[in-house]
Amino acid sequence: MAEKMELKEVEVWDGNYAASQALRQAQVDVVSAYPITPSTPIVENYGAYVANGYVDGEFVMVESEHAAMSGCVGAAAAGGRVATATSSQGFALMVEVLYQASGMRLPIVMTVVNRALASPLNVRGDHGDMYLGRDSGWVQIDAFNAQEAYDLTLCAFKIGEDMRVRLPVMMHQDGFLTSHTAQNVHPLSDDEAYKFVGDYKPYEEMLDFTKPVTYGAQTEEDWHYEHKARQHKALMESKDVIDEVFAEFKKLTGREYKRVESYMMDDAEVAIVALGTTVETARVAADQLREEGIKAGVVAPRCFRPFPFDEMRDALENTKAIAVLDRSAPMGAMGALFNEVSAALYTTPNRPLVTNFIYGLGGRDFSVEEAKRIFKEQKAHADAGHITTPIQQFSGVRGPKLGFFETKRGN
Amino acid sequence: MSRGVLATEKRGIRELGAEEFVGWDEVTHGVILPSFEGELKENVSHIRPEERDYSDFNSYTATVASWRVIKPVYNRDICIDCQNCWVWCPDTSIISRDKQMLGIDYDHCKGCGVCVEVCPTNPKSLLMFGEAEEIEDALAKWPEKKKKAK
Amino acid sequence: MAITNIKNLKEFSTANERFEGAHLLCPGCAHSMIVRELMNATDDNLVIASNTGCLEVSTAVYPYTSWDTSWIHIGFENAATAVAGAEAMYKARKRKGTLKDPDAPVKFVAFGGDGSTYDIGFQWLSGAVERGHDFTYICLDNENYANTGGQRSSATPIGAHTSTAQAGRVSYGKKEKKKDMVAIMAAHGAPYVAQLAPNKWKIMAKGFQKALETEGPCFINTVSACTTEWKFDPKDTIHLTDLATDTLMFPIYEIINGHELNILYRPKNIIPVEEYLAAQGRYKHLFKPENRHVIEQIQKEINEKWEYLQRREEARV
Repeated sequence: MAEKMELKEVEVWDGNYAASQALRQAQVDVVSAYPITPSTPIVENYGAYVANGYVDGEFVMVESEHAAMSGCVGAAAAGGRVATATSSQGFALMVEVLYQASGMRLPIVMTVVNRALASPLNVRGDHGDMYLGRDSGWVQIDAFNAQEAYDLTLCAFKIGEDMRVRLPVMMHQDGFLTSHTAQNVHPLSDDEAYKFVGDYKPYEEMLDFTKPVTYGAQTEEDWHYEHKARQHKALMESKDVIDEVFAEFKKLTGREYKRVESYMMDDAEVAIVALGTTVETARVAADQLREEGIKAGVVAPRCFRPFPFDEMRDALENTKAIAVLDRSAPMGAMGALFNEVSAALYTTPNRPLVTNFIYGLGGRDFSVEEAKRIFKEQKAHADAGHITTPIQQFSGVRGPKLGFFETKRGN
Repeated sequence: MSRGVLATEKRGIRELGAEEFVGWDEVTHGVILPSFEGELKENVSHIRPEERDYSDFNSYTATVASWRVIKPVYNRDICIDCQNCWVWCPDTSIISRDKQMLGIDYDHCKGCGVCVEVCPTNPKSLLMFGEAEEIEDALAKWPEKKKKAK
Repeated sequence: MAITNIKNLKEFSTANERFEGAHLLCPGCAHSMIVRELMNATDDNLVIASNTGCLEVSTAVYPYTSWDTSWIHIGFENAATAVAGAEAMYKARKRKGTLKDPDAPVKFVAFGGDGSTYDIGFQWLSGAVERGHDFTYICLDNENYANTGGQRSSATPIGAHTSTAQAGRVSYGKKEKKKDMVAIMAAHGAPYVAQLAPNKWKIMAKGFQKALETEGPCFINTVSACTTEWKFDPKDTIHLTDLATDTLMFPIYEIINGHELNILYRPKNIIPVEEYLAAQGRYKHLFKPENRHVIEQIQKEINEKWEYLQRREEARV
């Protein structure tokens, strides 16, 4: 029987430690994992829990991240609760298995500590890895701080394992900025946390010998499309379960999470859309600008997948000018978040002015001052009635100003 | 073959590729395929195939007979029940029960000819004939014992 | 565990099949013979994983499965890890008391072709063996990437023609030696490794039983004569396998705990390898005068390997 931990009402945890505590409290049956900066402390902490009797399940220390996810898939198909953690290069290495896991409808939870992708090699936080897994079929939720890293990891189990979902779930947090920043975290007790997550319910499991099952069949042109459509539908409809789980969590803790987090958007004229710790930076900037009379607001698609198309549109459609911030090298196109937000806004009657900022690559700092500058640029667009800069700009890079693509609207 | 040991005898059999093309709402969850209907009452290795409740997703219920251009014919009178053909059939198409050969499952046999090659009797107890040949005619044509060359 | 103590083939034949027909393997395919010999050698419940390859692709094409036990395919490299994950889950659930039938005996088995075992899945196999999971890995070695049309693998022997290392005007086919996976797995500390062949069904069935019964990671390399890519008539699969074992191209032996080597089959008459090569289309170019030296080299290496095996067996190291 695993030992319980007595936790204080307020702990001082960084995002990694918070996530690892959530994994421990969820009483995961199999953690199949590999270390990689900056998620390494998650597996190290888990190893400490195992070595000191706090974990009843198995901890499989595999030989690569691809093996980590492969072990997770095999374990999940064998009918139990499974989790792992990774970042960046490891995430990239396991990408094919991510698609396989979701195609097989296996509820695995993975905390992704977001880090830039090589080359050049970089260990710091950006969203390159998050974007790489966009189409992998996982439910994807973003935490902006250590408390959320803890809360949302617990929610992830409940969402993925729900019989209406049965999909793997990623819980993202910014590398170093969240994962290595100690903050106040209000944890649940071991009993409360496990009660919230609940027992794992097996479904189509390989260890039920009365009902042998075949996982991983091949489909060609006659069948593939139907299976992918069915899977897509499940992912799209998971939003209802996500809302339910968030509502239940609010009842339990008082902390409310929404698939789209809107901040001061009721009357906002200008807005920033972002993910990760930048959301909080932008909120601080918005507060300060409100004092200057600028009606600034912040929107974050906390649930990155399934993308909250309708809710994003509703949150932003009456804003005049919006800057969408992408913390990932876009390589030949607009930022991914910009594209998705623009698509959501394209069919609105008002069609706000939307521009894209690439920022914070490889852990480059993004300051409150820069957020204010961007808000003010949006104000200039709003006042002019059209976009007064290139559509895509690079914020915070040294060297001559980089900007791409003009717009035909305006003037 | 009597004793009801074949899929066809029990429940009918389908051509591969002839299944109904259902929509996304009817394909299986997670592309997962169940081997049997309902729950097995005991370890499947203790249940004879003819007593199992195979699901429609089990290839046991399908046929590859159309792959053949030649087929093996089994001669019960010569066979010594050595089980060579049983162990080396790649298609689980040699049916043996209680250490006795019953014959060939023509729904699953692909006509590879391995069974004929490994048959030790003289003359062989299995020989290949044209797919269209009637079994009785084939048996009537059975060769005599081969004399060893000096 | 065993359905019987397999005394003879008649007893073996009383097994209830768990590998069904109407799969898509080529007529005469040895993969199926090996899988049937495994599944009939035990009546324990089996959890089986397969790498992408001929076996996987022919036995689980939606909407059909040929498996009467639980089976999983994830990808090309990771059957060993899939089964390792399932084995870990079994241990965890047993400890926690959440198994539906905790007393039901179960064995974990992974299948891979030589491509996935020797090449792309090597790391995954190595990791699973190093971690000591209780499972058996069976390599279905047909010495090429048969499923995709016969490309070379590191299990392809010297002188064989494959679609990538081709025999042509200026080449005699594969130039590199075949990797010795049995030795590599023994060096990992696997408690039981062996090379077996489906023609010697009794040795193979007993070898499988030994592997399944041995706690820890076991590795078995099996010779799977491939009618399509080795280029011989489908009816001759067992004849080819006989040549493979009697020329000692595929010696049959086991290594227990890394240092107890036992030769399991000694041919009454050792056949010159030329007869084996002559029976396959993939070696026919070796019979040109300019390539004869390759046949001599192959024979020389077979002799050396056989000498080595006998010496190790004698010396008990």
